[in-house]
Amino acid sequence: MNARNILYILGTLILFLGLTMFFPLFCSLYYGEGDSSAFVYSLLITSCIGALFYFLFRPVNGKISLTHKEGFLIVATGWFLAASFGSLPYMIQGVLPQFGDAFFESISGFTTTGATVITNIGDLPHGILLWRSLTQWLGGMGIIILSIAILPLLGVGGMQLYKAELPSPVKDKITPRVAETARTLWIVYIIISIVEFIMLLTGGMDVFNSICHTFTTMATGGFSTSDASIAHFHSAYIDGIITFFMLVAGINFTLHYSLITGNFKAIFKNSELLLYLGIILTAVIIVTISLKQNSVYEAGGYLRYASFQVVSVLTTTGFTTANFDNWPSLSKIILLVLMFIGGSAGSTGGGMKCLRILLILKHIYKELYGLVHPHAVTAVKLGKKIVYPETMASIWGFFMLYLMMTIVASIILTMLGLDMMTAFSSVVATIGNVGPGFGAVNPSATYSEIPYLGKWVLSFCMLAGRLEIYTVIILFIPEFWKR
Amino acid sequence: MIVIVIGAGEVGYNISDILSKEGNDIIIIDKDEDRLKHVSENLDVQTIVGSGSSPQVLKKAKLSQAEMVVAVTDSDETNIVACLLASAQSTSPFKIARIRNPDLNRDSALFDKSHLNIDLCINPEREAVNDVINLMEYSGASEVIDFSEGRVKLVSFYVDSECSSVGKNLQQIMEIYQYGEDILIASITRDNEPIIPSGKTVIKERDRLFVFAKSENVRNMLKFFGKKEEPSERVFIIGGGNTALMLAELLEKKGVDTIKIIEKRQDRCEMLASRLDRAICLHGDGTSQDLLKEENIQDTDYFIAVTDDEEANILSALLAKQLGAKKTIALVNKASYAHLIPLLGIDGVMNPRRASIGKILHFIRKGKVISATPLGDEKAEAVEFIALETSDITNTPLKDIKFPKGTIIGAITRDDEVIIPGGDSVILPGDHVILVALRSSIPQIEKILTVKLDYFG
Repeated sequence: MNARNILYILGTLILFLGLTMFFPLFCSLYYGEGDSSAFVYSLLITSCIGALFYFLFRPVNGKISLTHKEGFLIVATGWFLAASFGSLPYMIQGVLPQFGDAFFESISGFTTTGATVITNIGDLPHGILLWRSLTQWLGGMGIIILSIAILPLLGVGGMQLYKAELPSPVKDKITPRVAETARTLWIVYIIISIVEFIMLLTGGMDVFNSICHTFTTMATGGFSTSDASIAHFHSAYIDGIITFFMLVAGINFTLHYSLITGNFKAIFKNSELLLYLGIILTAVIIVTISLKQNSVYEAGGYLRYASFQVVSVLTTTGFTTANFDNWPSLSKIILLVLMFIGGSAGSTGGGMKCLRILLILKHIYKELYGLVHPHAVTAVKLGKKIVYPETMASIWGFFMLYLMMTIVASIILTMLGLDMMTAFSSVVATIGNVGPGFGAVNPSATYSEIPYLGKWVLSFCMLAGRLEIYTVIILFIPEFWKR
Repeated sequence: MIVIVIGAGEVGYNISDILSKEGNDIIIIDKDEDRLKHVSENLDVQTIVGSGSSPQVLKKAKLSQAEMVVAVTDSDETNIVACLLASAQSTSPFKIARIRNPDLNRDSALFDKSHLNIDLCINPEREAVNDVINLMEYSGASEVIDFSEGRVKLVSFYVDSECSSVGKNLQQIMEIYQYGEDILIASITRDNEPIIPSGKTVIKERDRLFVFAKSENVRNMLKFFGKKEEPSERVFIIGGGNTALMLAELLEKKGVDTIKIIEKRQDRCEMLASRLDRAICLHGDGTSQDLLKEENIQDTDYFIAVTDDEEANILSALLAKQLGAKKTIALVNKASYAHLIPLLGIDGVMNPRRASIGKILHFIRKGKVISATPLGDEKAEAVEFIALETSDITNTPLKDIKFPKGTIIGAITRDDEVIIPGGDSVILPGDHVILVALRSSIPQIEKILTVKLDYFG
């Protein structure tokens, strides 16, 4: 492994992250709530360390080429470092003085989880609020992919990083160059963000809240600017707009690109999208009926609450307009299952991704078909392309790893004294990058009651979930470090 | 520029590598998914699985936006069909096809605008055979590249212990060079890295030198560097494929005294015998000592191994050398073997793959570039171009022109005159200029050559 190249890229990433702190700095100066110095210090510390690495390890000539191993290492440590430096404002401002808490909040931001340990969010200064939302927006499409898009240095090396960060089992490029692909994805991301921002403004939300909520919706993050999340606004219009954009953010961004470039065929033919929409429709119907039968909301609005919560949980955003912990069991179990499934591959959503579920279902069907017709030659197909057995094996491996991590982490949390529902749902909600869970981590509570060690376990779950497990777990395999 | 490359074999891979690093967008099409996986892991290009002769696949590759189609699959027919489809679906692209079949190649009218409309046909074997003929003409050289219709030659050879210039720097060498001033050492490859030398660069043993010289001075130059002139009257060819046939035909035409071809397959031998007049076709194994001895291998001037099996070519060349053949040349395509060859004691390499890459590159270079050839390990390149009146480089002494790092002007040809330039030489508009540059600076050089042209155009 070439330490020089790795340190250089990490340095660039940190430097870049430091520069993004200008946005909350300006915001804090504008509102003048005394959080400016926190951002000045954070900005200086972060950019100076980044710049030091950047200049110290600048490559002598030409482009950097990276191996697979280096790609994994850079992405995993890059995210860890981003979250570490991102936690500086929380600590310096004194919102969360302990590193464990601040790191939890920061990584929950970057991984677009939306789980918070801050209890009185409404009282936070505006700068901190913007920083929370901004970390989600940066993490949504991926900080590494953003740096590939901006840095011209990474040629083939960029592909290794792209593959290690992109949340999808199928890692195709939409343009010949990886930098161009990364740029395209980010441009699509920005365009949709701008549309949402305008839509929220027209719904009567003020500029600051519109920016913050656009950031966290598009990233399927879920940080809000008040404890009551979206319920704070008491507006069916805003609920609707946010539901729609959560839905959009949970769709593969290459499909949005197809839509923008006028390739409608690709969209209607996409079986993952059909499954995604199918799951949402079914879940909304079941939850609505279940709520209605139990007369949870006497004033009505079942469909509104059901659809918002279902979309929020499936896309792993984690906004809430209702405390679903008080809902009937049927609704709760549906939501728990949705947390596992997650959004589409190549979207900003987390979870296992609809594409994997789709391929697993197809594979199961293929096995059953093979039992009926022992001589039949079959293959798992996606569209018109055959999914090769190696890809299937990797998907099954992912599925098992995901479940195993959930189980192991849940057991650790119960050992720390949490009740079963809290332990299990908090792991599912963090590994899937959802945010709120059930029990003690229900939508109207926070993660502040989780023991200190438990927060580290959950932080690890968030990172592993965002980077699709393999990228993180591989660093713990002794084989990885062998020369 | 968007370039569609069909076929991800050695040639397709290398062309894509070079073009992609120069800033072009490459889309590679191949049927073999594994090969494409290898490509996408190593190059920053887009890959599409499918047949290059399928309209759907080409459409998916955004053929309508492509400026160039390079069809280099193993099948001539696929390549032709791909170019035809490209003509049918889009008007703009340049089309380059690899056509191996010598029968097709002879009928070059077939490929012109009114018929198949392919802009460039490459026959790797033919290019490589031409290289070998050049090598035989200048014994001691390991590569000879023609510029300005052959009046200027870029000759490459390995420095061995017999060379009197080992341990001297270039300035000293030029002082003791007894045949006049007109040679220029343009590039040195040492440990696989190209060095663009200055006057203080010291020559070491086992360096590979690239020297510009007028064609009439090449023999003297080689003599100076300790390369003896060898006759090429008796030639052995191992392998009886198209390459061997082409080579033998050319050698017959040149009047080489004895040509012996060894081929394993009886029917192929018969075919060769019917096509060739004076060459002797032997049925047998080229690695058989008995057969080689029986046919007086010890008296052979040149032993050329051109079977399909590269490793066998290397081994049989070594065997022949040991049995007394004076010079050996082996057909080797793999780039990873290239630097092994001089260590093994094989005198020359015939490399159809590199020959075709050179031909394609030449075609792709923009502006008034006439020819471009990769050197050595392909990290440096020799480029011939016509100096335009509007270009920055004309009418200024060379030492005052700001060239990118690692560029050296090797020769200037003006009408009938050939100039091997020094710092005070001046390029006039219309001159043919030949330069050697590191590949990384090629885009900058292209810019220097064309910038003003674009400005006026």
